[in-house]
Order: sequence, then structure tokens, then C-alpha cells
Amino acid sequence: MDSVLNSLGSLASVWVVAAAFAGVLWGILGGALPGISPSIAMALLLPFTAGMSPTVALVLLASVYVGAEYGGSIPAILIRTPGTNSAAATVIDGFEMAKQGKAGEALGISLVSGLVGGLFGLVVLVLATESLAKVALAFTPAAYFSLGILGLSVIAGLSGGSLLKGLIAASIGLMIAFVGSDPVSGVSRFTFGSADLLDGVKPIIVMVGLFAVTEMLVQIGEPAWAKADKTTSRLKLPDWAMWKRLFRPQAIGAAVGTFEGVTPGAGGTVAAFMAYSESKRWSKHPEEYGHGSPEGVAAPEAANNVVTATALVPLLSLGIPGSNSAAILMGGFLIHGLQPGPMLFSKAPEVVYGLYGGLFIANIAMLLIGLVILNPCIWLVNRPKPYLIAGILALVMTGVYALHQSVFDIAMALGIGVLGYGMRLLRIPVLPMVLGLVLGYMVESNYRRSLLISGGEHSIFVTDLVSAGLLALAVVLTAYTGFKEFTDRKSKA
Amino acid sequence: MSKDPNEGLSDLTTSRVTGVIGLVGSLTYIVAALRIEDSLLADAVGASGVPVAVGMLMAVASVALLVKGFALSSTVKMPLATGKGGRHTPADSPLRPHGLAAGLLVILVAYLVALPWLGYIVSIGLLSAAVGWFAGGRERKTLLGFALLTGPILWFLFDFALKVHMPAGFWPKLFTG
Repeated sequence: MDSVLNSLGSLASVWVVAAAFAGVLWGILGGALPGISPSIAMALLLPFTAGMSPTVALVLLASVYVGAEYGGSIPAILIRTPGTNSAAATVIDGFEMAKQGKAGEALGISLVSGLVGGLFGLVVLVLATESLAKVALAFTPAAYFSLGILGLSVIAGLSGGSLLKGLIAASIGLMIAFVGSDPVSGVSRFTFGSADLLDGVKPIIVMVGLFAVTEMLVQIGEPAWAKADKTTSRLKLPDWAMWKRLFRPQAIGAAVGTFEGVTPGAGGTVAAFMAYSESKRWSKHPEEYGHGSPEGVAAPEAANNVVTATALVPLLSLGIPGSNSAAILMGGFLIHGLQPGPMLFSKAPEVVYGLYGGLFIANIAMLLIGLVILNPCIWLVNRPKPYLIAGILALVMTGVYALHQSVFDIAMALGIGVLGYGMRLLRIPVLPMVLGLVLGYMVESNYRRSLLISGGEHSIFVTDLVSAGLLALAVVLTAYTGFKEFTDRKSKA
Repeated sequence: MSKDPNEGLSDLTTSRVTGVIGLVGSLTYIVAALRIEDSLLADAVGASGVPVAVGMLMAVASVALLVKGFALSSTVKMPLATGKGGRHTPADSPLRPHGLAAGLLVILVAYLVALPWLGYIVSIGLLSAAVGWFAGGRERKTLLGFALLTGPILWFLFDFALKVHMPAGFWPKLFTG
């Protein structure tokens, strides 16, 4: 309760409020630009925060994170291009809704689900930081490996009816993740002598290639899409009936986002995919998923917005940045001579509580700015298709180059785009590939570290209680999905 | 998500093609992984251990897909991969979307080659106009507007506002000698 009361003080600061609104606006714009990830949008502001007070600087950076997570869903829904990694799961049903003339409804669901997720995550952050941090503290490399396996276990639910093709797609993702330096010995793998590949393949480039480039290659051969009419393209916030329908996926998103957020390395992308998969599993209408289900938008959006707050738990309590964005925020602390970790609560409590208060304002700002900024985004959908394709590709090519000022990255995105086109042709699901890509490093590095610790004994994965629990959960989830698919097929037959 | 680029392919065909490509790809990958030389710092698993395991997983999945594809073909009559009404006319050739995709790819590769040479503003302007025209845009004023405005607007956003420097091309050399 003291935390809450102390946080309220920051609500009266004009500069904190201004920083929250400015950060959210910057974050939404950055997140909506394909290729500009939340961490890049935050990093661009980092040098400018040096002259600010620590609280204002950290609220500004954290608000960018909040805004970017929502901003990433806007192009995901409107043009099938996730602006951020974690918006990739929103593409599935969000874009389907947009094609059905329900872009405004999908964006409204995304906005309110993001708000619900963000506020829930904030409550978790404020009230349960220390106790949840103890869970994360107990994580060994074996537990991290098992966490990765748990993440991969959702492949079964994301394979669109063909587990074998899903496994092949996940393998491709893992193979791409292994490009670069070996995590233990540093030996170069699959770089073919290219210096550009030494640091590995950045997931955001794969995402842009797989979703944006592939989609444009497909769209150019298809007739013009139906334009959203005025009634459906107006921003539509959910009515009471829709709120009731969204409660379950939002709750699932909140639960998954909390778990994934406090676990360093998991992040919003895994949370969004897991929330989507779990929401589908527990839905009364799983057949609607993939065909424009409102729940399919609500679950991942709630989850990735929960993560914007809960990802700060390991950073604030243990000093461990669990994601790129948390690492940038850590940079914000260090610029001001503050070291995140347990001592932060005694050395600079006003900064921590100010950050809590700033995050609350940021979520309100997301709703207010979101209401204003959505309609211009919807207007984009109704532009003539040839110019929309041209504009999107110009933005994508620019965004990909902007990541590292590298022409090689553009070539990589084009190559991945062609791969994605081939996968669409052969009806291989791309989402398991994305999951394999984002979990590959975590799974391999922690698997090998665990074996180094145990002297090569694989029993470490079951003797470690947290690891064993996570593996058991993975087995249960996979078995349940398999059983449900089997019974569904039997009932159809 | 939008529909598949080629809806004419049957499940049996996609399973077989995926199985063959997956098997060849995974075996090539395993060979490449086995050629990775470990350093003295290597652990028992080695730099190639996990990649080989993943390659094997993909190989097994590909073989299973092939077996499934051929097993089903003995019980299921394969539908012909035809377009609307079972006939193709030159206007709705099933290959046309792939030709357009290939054409778009050529434009994008041309942009990739031109970017360091022509600089960002010129090449992104040309890309926008070329893609707009290729995708069916025929309004000359709009195309011209795209070519002239896309470059400066995006340059302002990225280079000026976000401080992400874009390639200048050969233009500065014209003025500095």
C-alpha cells in the first residue's frame, strides 16, 4: 500500500505527466513504423534524457515502451505488418478482421485490451514485485531451458492442422537462430564467411521479411481488397456484450504476460503467441481463430502490454534486464548514476515510485492518444492499393536499412520474404518459425550451460524442481493440444 | 492472413513437395553443421550438437510428411490443380500472381543495387514510383508525386528527426570533386 501511496505523488508532477504523454506518442509512432522496434525507439531518446531528472527520464523511456507495444498492433491489423515483434500474433486475427471491414473494431479491441493488460501489469509490478522476483531468482539455466521448451510446446497449437509442417517451420526458425557466434565457444556457425552474419540474424529483420515483404509479394498478384466502409472503419470501442466476450482472453493474456514478463528472456513476443494459443485452447469458439476472432486480438494485445510492466520486475528487483527494452531502460538508470537491483528501493525509492506513477499515466495516455491517432491510421486502408503497396514497401525498405544502416539487412529481408512466399505456397505455417527463431538462443545456450554445470548429466532437467515443473507443463500442454485435435477430427469425421 | 498464393495446389502436393525440400534442406544443414570446427573452449555438446539435433528433427518430420503424402495418395483421389471452372484462360492464368511477385522482386533487387550508388532520396523515390506503376497505378500525377515526395518525407523522418543516416550516393562527390 505504501508503494501505491508513494506513486500517487508523481501524478502531480507536470513534467512526469508531460514525459508520459510524449513518450507514448513517440512510442506509438515508432512502433507503427515497421522496422522500428520499441528498443530502437527508446534508444533514440536515450541520449536526450541525460539532462532530465531521473524520474522524468525513466518515465519517458518506459512510456515509449508502453506506446510502442500498442503502436506495433496498428500496422499489424491494417496492413498485416507487425510494427514490433510482439505484435506478430495480433496479425493473425487482426488482419482478418480488417479484411472483413472490421478494422475499427479490431483496433478498438487492441486498444482496450492493451489498456487492461498495461494496468494489470502495473498492479502486478507495484504490489508483487518482491515476491515474484523470488521466483525469478530461483531460475537456473536448466529452468530457462525448460522455459524455452514450454514456449516451443505451443507450436502444436499454432500449426494450422499440420503438426509436421509446424515442426519443419519451427526447425527453420531454430536454424536461423543458430546463425552467428556459438554461445559457449564463440565459434562462427553458418556465417559463410560473411562479417554481417557474425552477430546472427536479427529477429526483427526476419519478421519484416516474413510478414511485410511476403505479404506484398502476395498482394501484388491479387485483386484490390475491399475498402472499409465508413461505418466499419470508425473506431469502435467494445460494447458490453463484447467486453464480456473479451474477458476470458484478456484474463489469459494477463496471466501469461505476467509469467512471461517476470521471466527474463521470454518477453512480449513469446507471451503474445502463448496467450493466443492458450486463449484458442480455452475458447468456446476455437474455430473462429485465424478467421477474424476478436478474442484472437484481445489475448496477445493484453499479454504484450502486461509485459511492458512485468518485464521491469527482474530489472528493478534483481538488476537483470530481461529484454532489449529493459536493457535500454537500464541504460537510463545508469546515465543517472543509479544501479537497478534490490538496493534501488532503499537508495532511490522516489525514482521507483515515480516510475510506477508514470507508467499509470502512460497507460491512460495510450488510451487518449490512441483514440485520436487511430482514425488517421484507418484512413490509410482506403487508399488505392497500388500506392499503398508502394508506400508500404518504401517504409519497410527504409525501416530495415535504418536498423543497422546496412544494405545487407535489406537483402536479408528480401530473401526471407521469398522464403515466406514459398512457405505460403506450400501452406507451411510461419508462426512456429517465428517462435523457433525467438527461442532458439535461449534453448541452446541454457541447455549447454546446464550440462556444463551437471557434468553432462541430463537428469539436471528433472532434478531441478522449477525445470521439472516447466517441462511437465510443456508435456501437459502438448498432450492436451494433441488430444483436442484428435477429438475434433473424430467429431468432424 | 490473406489467402495462399496458389490455391490450386492440393494438400498431397504440398505435403510431398514440402517433404522433399525439407529432407534435402535438413540433410544439407546437418552436413554443414558437422563441418563446424570446435575450438578448445568447446563443451561436450559442441557448436554443432544442437544444430545437428534440429536438422535431424526436421529430417524426421520431412520423411513423415512424405510417407503421409504417399500413403494418402493411395486412398485419396488427387484433385486436378485447376483454376476457376477447371479451365485456365490467359487472363486468369494461375501462374500470373507468381509472375507479378517475381517482377516486384526484381524491382526490389534493383533498389537494393541502386541504393548505395544513387543515394537514398533518389532510389526510394524511383522505387515508390516503379512499384506504384507495376502494381497498377496509372495516374501520372500521383506517380510523379510519389517519386518526388516519398524520398524527402522519409529522409526527413529518419535522417533528420531520428538521426538515422541514409546513403547519400555519388551526389556529394559531384560537388566536392
